[in-house]
Amino acid sequence: MRVRIKRQETASSKPYWQEFNYDREDDKTVAGMLDDINGREIIKDVGGNVTSRIEWECSCMQGMCGACAMVINNKPALACEYFLRDVKGDTLTIEPLKVFPTVADLVVDRDIILESFKKENVYIEEFKGTESEEYENMYLAGKCLKCGLCLEVCPNYNRGRKFYGAAFANDCYLVKSRSKTNGDSIKKSYRKHFENYCSKSLSCADVCPVNITTLASIASMNRTH
Amino acid sequence: MKKVLIIGSGIAGLSSAIECAKRNMEVTLVSPYSSERAQSVLAAGGINAVIDDSNGDSIESHIEDTLKAGCNIAGREAVTGLCTEAPNVIRKLEKWGTVFSVDEKDEIKRRAFGGQSHIRTCFCGASTGKQIVTALVMEARRYEIQGLINRRLKLYFYSALIKNGKCFGALFYNDDSDRIEMIRADFVVFATGGQNALFGKTTGSTLCDGYVHGKLFTQGVNLKNLEFIQYHPTTLETSQKMLLVSEAVRGEGGRLYYLDGDKRVYFMEEMYGENGNLMTRDVVSRCMYNTGKDIFLDITFLGEEQIKKRLPEVYDLCMKYRGIDITKESIPVTPSVNFFMGGIAVHNNHESNIKRLYAVGECASIYHGANRLGGNALLAAMYGGRVVAESIAKSETEDSSKEDFAKELSDANAGIDELKNTIGNSSVMSIRNSLANIMKTNLGIVRDSDRLYKGINDIENAISSSAAVRCDNRNHIYPIYSLQEILILAKATLVCALSRKESRGAHYRSDYTDTSDEYFL
Repeated sequence: MRVRIKRQETASSKPYWQEFNYDREDDKTVAGMLDDINGREIIKDVGGNVTSRIEWECSCMQGMCGACAMVINNKPALACEYFLRDVKGDTLTIEPLKVFPTVADLVVDRDIILESFKKENVYIEEFKGTESEEYENMYLAGKCLKCGLCLEVCPNYNRGRKFYGAAFANDCYLVKSRSKTNGDSIKKSYRKHFENYCSKSLSCADVCPVNITTLASIASMNRTH
Repeated sequence: MKKVLIIGSGIAGLSSAIECAKRNMEVTLVSPYSSERAQSVLAAGGINAVIDDSNGDSIESHIEDTLKAGCNIAGREAVTGLCTEAPNVIRKLEKWGTVFSVDEKDEIKRRAFGGQSHIRTCFCGASTGKQIVTALVMEARRYEIQGLINRRLKLYFYSALIKNGKCFGALFYNDDSDRIEMIRADFVVFATGGQNALFGKTTGSTLCDGYVHGKLFTQGVNLKNLEFIQYHPTTLETSQKMLLVSEAVRGEGGRLYYLDGDKRVYFMEEMYGENGNLMTRDVVSRCMYNTGKDIFLDITFLGEEQIKKRLPEVYDLCMKYRGIDITKESIPVTPSVNFFMGGIAVHNNHESNIKRLYAVGECASIYHGANRLGGNALLAAMYGGRVVAESIAKSETEDSSKEDFAKELSDANAGIDELKNTIGNSSVMSIRNSLANIMKTNLGIVRDSDRLYKGINDIENAISSSAAVRCDNRNHIYPIYSLQEILILAKATLVCALSRKESRGAHYRSDYTDTSDEYFL
């Protein structure tokens, strides 16, 4: 198969497309494929030109760390969960996530996600206990990978300028449900940086690799004001 | 205010950072990526603590189980501290927002784990590590906002600043600036995880590659017990990694068997009775190896509803990566590398032989002896952070401003510039692949001197090849500069295994099958 990868040497250099040949194995994921290409004795593109190792982030290789989020055949996904058997046709296109600045090749700078949490004091401070009926939603919200896929697909997210997106709503919910002291201030932040901008397209829930029910977090946040 | 540099931001690093910040220290928390990418998120099954003695359990039992599983080479005093503090660790984690699984009375549930005399493993579904990371990230944020924790990302460890047996900070490769950067500190804490890259595809993170161990070793930091490598009995092979099938499956009643014709042979139960499936990991892995057969893990009898309720992550992983429906069919499992009991040798306060240089979590060797109990890794990572902070709080700081490391910094920058221009014949990734093959072949579950010598010889050849490595990406030099020290660590590991002429825990020698008191220490 032909693999087209959008490459960029550094944050300030110009992006370009490069193509590679790859013998498709249906049970491989895009992550496994990138490993294979980088593992070649000499990495060459389709024209036979020697090229540099492809930069991409990876850690767990099993959908639990969120490192390898990228755009695969125009669909934002985790590379380690995207199987080659699901690629229609004989061409695969891979790009970095578009809503974050590119660092190099497929690596993007997602620092803004956690920076916005910090700006809005997203932490519990004094624990008030947990209501057992909230357990299931909290467990799911606690699994958020901070991978950025929900922000990539969100029609309202604009590089975190005012609207912080679904990841923020879920962490606000985790604080509000259990904080004795930070509940009110987190609700204000939630209104200011989520509720006022969310058009409830729920594209975030569709793309979430760990199936977080952001709607449940939103419902819980809305119940209290 | 004491300045503490913490390298690694998984559970051990976060715990250390929070505990130091609580004691009003100024923490710099460094890692290449955010905590969400750390290997800690993969820890599935649980965390051990005696939070209730109504089932006859006691802290003494937890201590004895830990020492016994480690084949009596972990220090009793350290283990006593670990197990005694465990209930407080759980309370603290709950207070910081960890979503533990609870029963109808809102009390934390526990499940059975291997090698334990009582049911004492607290858990969060089957994503205990992830839920703890989420809580710790939030708690650390409190101190980030106060300015007590300063997080630095995109920094890769390069070397420690060590002079006259003392540590003064570290050098890092900055991926943004493409230069080496110096961070000075009064105390340095390593929390960088295990040495997975020695074996290629393991159950763990690709980020834990052992470079820190290898580099520190060349800088005079003592390592120990490198030969004790835990093969987790139940992993599922995929084309890209070995997936951990959590011990929780056996904790919920899962049974191991092989087929003799059409007949299932429940070999662990035949050898060790009804609790045979929950023997310690070293024993189960060795028994599986000795059968010479394909092994399966059956949990189907629990029923679809209970499996999806109690083990949803295991169900999802098996289905997603291998198309196996664990509610209807057995899981084909094989032992593979999961944890390193050996690592940086530390005293009970987690300080190494180098003053002011500490290690915590999997990169330190202290609590687990020759074999780790499931559920004790998360506990040790959490508890170690507190021990480190208390030790630093009690330590005096010295004026180190006279110590100058400008030359080390300029040498390091010159070194990476030189590496960028290397046009050798060897590719770094192919040497890394060879390394994994050498280690898997020669340092498996059962070892002998012939294979260990062969492994050492092959690694020496790989070290020679690494001198002629080709720079394959000038803009991200870490894989290039880290290669040689990873190989040195591999050699050290093989030498440790060759030197221990006995069998103990995870180190089994077919040529020295007995345990020998000569190697008691």
